[in-house]
Amino acid sequence: MKFLKKIIFFYYREYKLNMSGVQDILTNIVFFFLSVFIFIFSIGPDKETISTVGVAIVWTLLLLSSTLSLRKFYQDDFENGNLLIIHLNGFSFGFITILKTFSHFLFVQVPFLLSIPIACILLNIPNDKLLYLFTSFGIGSLTLSCLGSISSSMNLMNQRNFLLGSVIVMIFSVPIIIFSVGIINMAQNFNSLINILFGILLIVFAINPWASGLCLKLSIENN
Amino acid sequence: MKFLVNPSKFNEIADYIFKPVLVLSILFFALGLLFSFYLSPDDYQQGSTVRIMYVHVPSAWLALLTYAIMTFYSIAALAFRMPFGFIFNTAVAPIGAIFTLICIISGSLWGKPMWGTWWVWDARLTSVAILFIIYLIIIFINLSFENRVVREKVVAIFVIVGSVNLPIIKFSVDWWNTLHQPATISKLAKPSIDPSMMTPLIIMTFAFMMIGVAIAILRIKTEIISRKSNLS
Repeated sequence: MKFLKKIIFFYYREYKLNMSGVQDILTNIVFFFLSVFIFIFSIGPDKETISTVGVAIVWTLLLLSSTLSLRKFYQDDFENGNLLIIHLNGFSFGFITILKTFSHFLFVQVPFLLSIPIACILLNIPNDKLLYLFTSFGIGSLTLSCLGSISSSMNLMNQRNFLLGSVIVMIFSVPIIIFSVGIINMAQNFNSLINILFGILLIVFAINPWASGLCLKLSIENN
Repeated sequence: MKFLVNPSKFNEIADYIFKPVLVLSILFFALGLLFSFYLSPDDYQQGSTVRIMYVHVPSAWLALLTYAIMTFYSIAALAFRMPFGFIFNTAVAPIGAIFTLICIISGSLWGKPMWGTWWVWDARLTSVAILFIIYLIIIFINLSFENRVVREKVVAIFVIVGSVNLPIIKFSVDWWNTLHQPATISKLAKPSIDPSMMTPLIIMTFAFMMIGVAIAILRIKTEIISRKSNLS
């Protein structure tokens, strides 16, 4: 019961932190919409062309804008020492990464879920594909959160090369992009592709506590 | 076999085997180039361009083999606290990157006359390109961390996580319908390649392997020295 209380307090703290910095999340969404506009301007206003590449554009931009907020995944807590305090309160490093992954999913990825329908209207994507887009993004965004946890914990001690974290996320998210765009474009294969996407999620979810926990431990020990 | 895990033992053995390995690689290269240019037949469909295979296939095998050995060393290094694995990772990653680059470039030179295009987005080609980028990221991680202890462990973790790409490369020609042909040699049944083409391929593979081992010995020795003098 005490442990559950601690988890609830952890999420309350995350909620407070994210609400005090709500402009960051809003900036992500503004970045997403601006990139959609820029894509439309560069392709041209032809409706046919836009609706064929629309799904791919939405997915690519979701990936890019979710990598924008990677720096504050662990960095702030690491630098002001909160990570160590949470660990001393009885959470193992692996468990912290799981909690943090879900908090990143809740506070950064879910706002994108709400902004997808507007992007669909702008990009002229037919309504029947919206369900597939939601399903694939629901699974894919949790996978992206896990990947973000791995890459941002790897880069805690990296003071020179800030872009490396985004590159690591992008290289591992190639299969997610392939299969999720595949789901939307070939709707008859829905079940098998969803299973593959779910399998990728489970693999990444299993690797995540080990890899990011080890990296957090390393960085805290050697700081 | 202790020289595979112990840096000082490795230094002793490496002094003995470096020159023989270098001489062997030169011999194998001479023999292999002779075989592949003059003593092997033209393909009945592809003509003389089939000779690109004698560079393309060995470099592809060695790119995969290098990554597989790096994965084993990373697991061993993290599990048994074995510093030689970290030294190996740092030293060998550029060699693997160069093998992958040779494979990609020779493949696209072969693809232009045969498929009519330098590059197609097929599963085998894409996954090898991803392997190349993974090698590059390993090198970048090595360059961008200040703290050596953190750096080498992060590299090892990244190598282990990135090793999911290896089975994808190997089985990509079986899982998807690709333009790239399926495996003809590295399969359980009898190889479906003629012995007259098999011979130069094997010789060139040994030549590539020997030159790779020679460069790896040089780089590992340099890495050990730089660690002893605490340069990085």
